[in-house]
Amino acid sequence: MKRRQLLQGAAAGAALGPWVHTLAQDRYAKYKGQTIVVNYPAHPHYDQAEKLFAEFTAETGIKVERDKMQYLRMKDKQVLEMGKRGNGDYDVVVYVVMWKTEYVKKDLLQPLDGYFANSALADPAWDQKDIIDRYWETNALVGGPKMYLPGPGARPYGIPFGAETGVLAYRTDLFAKHKLAAPKTYDELLAACRLMKDKEGIGGLTSRGQTGHQVTAAWLLHLTPNGGEVFDSQWRAAFNNAQGVRAAEILKEIVDTGPAGIPSYGFGEMQNAFLQGQAAMYLDSVSIFGPAQDPAKSRVAGKIAYAVHPKGSKHSAQSGGFAMAIPKNARNKDAAFLFMQWMTSKQADLKIALAGGNINRWSTLDNADVAKKYPIELPALRESLKIANPDWRPLIPEWDHISQQILGQALPDVITGGKPAKQALDAVVKAAEDVVRQGGWLKA
Amino acid sequence: MSHPTSVPRGSPLHYLMLALLATACLLPLVIMTMTSLKTEAQIFDTQWSWLFAPTLDNYRAVVEENHIERYMLNSLKVSLAATLITLMLGTMCAYAMARFRFLGREPLSYSTLILRTLPPAVLAVPVFVIWSAWGIGDTLSGVVLVYVALNLPFTIWLLYGFIDQLPIELEEAAAIDGCGPFRVFYKIVLPLLKPGLAAAAIFTFRLAWNEFILGFILTNRITRTLPASISNYITDTGVEWGKIMAAGVLIALPPLIFTFVAAKQIITGLTAGAVKG
Amino acid sequence: MPSARLARLTPYVYILPAVLVMLAGLVYPILSAVRLGFYDWPLGTDFDSARFVGFQAFAEMLASTQVWTSMGITVAFVLIAVSAELVLGIALALFLEKPVRGMRFFRTVFVLPMMVAPICVGLIWRYLFDANFGPINHLSAWLGLSPQAWLADPVLAFSAMVITDIWQWTPFVLIMVLAGLQGLDESVIEAARIDGANAWQQIVRVKLPILKPILIVTLLARMIDGFRGLEVIYVMTFGGPGLSTELFSLHIFKAAFISQKLGYSSALSILLLVIVSALSLAILLISNPLKAKARR
Repeated sequence: MKRRQLLQGAAAGAALGPWVHTLAQDRYAKYKGQTIVVNYPAHPHYDQAEKLFAEFTAETGIKVERDKMQYLRMKDKQVLEMGKRGNGDYDVVVYVVMWKTEYVKKDLLQPLDGYFANSALADPAWDQKDIIDRYWETNALVGGPKMYLPGPGARPYGIPFGAETGVLAYRTDLFAKHKLAAPKTYDELLAACRLMKDKEGIGGLTSRGQTGHQVTAAWLLHLTPNGGEVFDSQWRAAFNNAQGVRAAEILKEIVDTGPAGIPSYGFGEMQNAFLQGQAAMYLDSVSIFGPAQDPAKSRVAGKIAYAVHPKGSKHSAQSGGFAMAIPKNARNKDAAFLFMQWMTSKQADLKIALAGGNINRWSTLDNADVAKKYPIELPALRESLKIANPDWRPLIPEWDHISQQILGQALPDVITGGKPAKQALDAVVKAAEDVVRQGGWLKA
Repeated sequence: MSHPTSVPRGSPLHYLMLALLATACLLPLVIMTMTSLKTEAQIFDTQWSWLFAPTLDNYRAVVEENHIERYMLNSLKVSLAATLITLMLGTMCAYAMARFRFLGREPLSYSTLILRTLPPAVLAVPVFVIWSAWGIGDTLSGVVLVYVALNLPFTIWLLYGFIDQLPIELEEAAAIDGCGPFRVFYKIVLPLLKPGLAAAAIFTFRLAWNEFILGFILTNRITRTLPASISNYITDTGVEWGKIMAAGVLIALPPLIFTFVAAKQIITGLTAGAVKG
Repeated sequence: MPSARLARLTPYVYILPAVLVMLAGLVYPILSAVRLGFYDWPLGTDFDSARFVGFQAFAEMLASTQVWTSMGITVAFVLIAVSAELVLGIALALFLEKPVRGMRFFRTVFVLPMMVAPICVGLIWRYLFDANFGPINHLSAWLGLSPQAWLADPVLAFSAMVITDIWQWTPFVLIMVLAGLQGLDESVIEAARIDGANAWQQIVRVKLPILKPILIVTLLARMIDGFRGLEVIYVMTFGGPGLSTELFSLHIFKAAFISQKLGYSSALSILLLVIVSALSLAILLISNPLKAKARR
């Protein structure tokens, strides 16, 4: 089905070629000379995307001013700006997917379906179906079941950009030396961790661990593959059941056999530890593909292979990343939409992927040049996308608070050995249930 | 004042201790500067190197990529404005407190002493809310206003101590000569206050230049001050130590220069009142 | 000659601008913080939609283990760091009390740490303590000690926080005590020596008591600064791991801008304000410059 649509679209596009081009010029003409302000993270994908801004301005006449920040601090500033009466400073905000429901609940974002239906602005060649469906479901849609899942009621509020799933990366040289195969299960993963620590003296698996959002994300990675969940179907706490505790214990073992300093690791430190050779394995976002090949960033280029997230009782990989959205109080909404549409178009996505950014579209994933650049990465990415799970964490509006202040405060005790996992998780059940009760999820 | 001729040479042990202390004070700052001159590869090297080929790349990067000159300019404007205004308002207020009896004098002086110790974190939320309501929520003027408010209590108290020390006879003589109170203030008192003014100026400038939290909350990307911009270097590709240290050096430079130029005034300001009181 | 009425008005004209600014910039926000503490107001929404919740925020605050942990950490930090700074500062000042040539240069160097922006201090020491690339671990390895993951362990991170504060503020204590010692009357020491007091007794019986006012002022000033501390730890550990370095000012900031609960963070601010005001009142009672002048 998809292929045929693609071919049809391509044929139509080719036939309409010159006319489409003229239409495109008309699309941007009204906004020539405007400046839009984009708030986005300092992140490898966006570092590459930035390089296309000049091309966008040359083609459309719309200037781009950017405000780059650390991604966890973006939210404070974004909420401040988007909450202002009158116009806020930002025309485009990039959100981390876990904020999407909170932003929509506080009515801060402009729904996008109106723009896609607007023939004066929408690009017929843009093709929403070409965007990797998992990413569209996880990053763009709000309003469906549980508010964050695809399904009836879901509408797009953002366009995935810098979207990601999870992948396992490992050092081929070290694994070959010890005659290890790529870990397929959690048992194999943990055995490899212990071996690397004992025999090689370096960390087994690098991991996030910093108090707050990071340590929760690290724990979540191991939760769903081992059959756990944060809340059960009635929204009572399930994170302290046997599977949740097991996931926390797995995390502790990873920290014990990992590189030094994990409890203070954010995303950057975690990725860096692998790229600088302090850990033998990496299990996190696919945004590592680009930096891993870059000799300026990576000491281990050429010595890496990729595999899917290991299986516990089932396969489940993370799904998420970033998306671009338009604040309700933005000054230049139309120009903002045109910018977002252009940056996520097929051509732009391809260029960014070839420069080392994330792949957001099937057409990019199927492209021959991209395959040449990422011969070992793409097969792993395809397999990972099959097991990417939009429900690997409950992205309700209250999630950020739970992740940072409740679970994010309980898990550090586990990984530093301060408390046993069961005790640490039991201690925050009441706080977590209070929050979901206040949010209206948990009845009585 | 004649230079004291009998300051003795200390024992070697004495100087050794001084040298150790000085090294302890300076070493972290030296390391910051060194790191700002290193490349990423040198910083992440597993071996520590005192000798290395320095590079100005980090400084170039923070200027070109991150518009650090914009933030420096904002910080400079804010610090100079805050210092000037605080000095003007503070001197007048301190003079009135020292030389006049008026209703509310005691409460005013107690208030300044207590307000001096106000934690900026307490101000963060209400000031943000109020300033936004007044429309100055992300302007440099808003930042200047809160910095002046924060510095006035200390400045008033400091200058009060200095004015109090001045012999009142000079002013009385001038008044008898026919000078009105304002002229007495400008012609007689101000010139004699120079050391106190210098100390107050340095402290106000230091706080305005160094301050981070309120500068972060009360500015947008155009008005952002230098310290507030530093969090941009804590990125998700790891902490960009070279660039952060370069920005750190730029932030630390003016106060360090002040210190070398005016250490005596700083110490006077610190100890005023504490020793004599 | 100015009329009598004008003369009476003069002081009010002088103090008016300063008073206005302090009212607008300090007093009004404090009063607002008190008021906000009675509301539930999420960041990013209009104040009109904020709910009045009475004392709920205050009750929540007093019942929260996180609040008491943070307060405990802050008190522990203040006590340990300030004691260390005082002891070190006094000891060093007594040792270095004799004025020697070149003292001016050294005093200048000693002023440097407290002049550096707190955020720079936080960054430098975060780098120094970095588990993988920091110079302190490089030094440990070179000395044959095992490198520690300083900022990843609750106890070590707390220690790192204390060490950083000691680095920045011991020179300040040193300078204050030196200034105090220089005000000492030589004849008093002479008298004690003649009476047969040895060096130790001279210090404890004579010098320290005379230094008492300046010591207490320095102690309380440092304590208040400890409670106000935010920027250094914001950048060094952001309160982690867990709550082991969560100074109270940082907890307030997080409540406002991370948990996005403006009302609750205002309630926390009031608590901090009460504590700091109590400490400042203590300074006032012990060493009131105005009263001293009145006595003269």
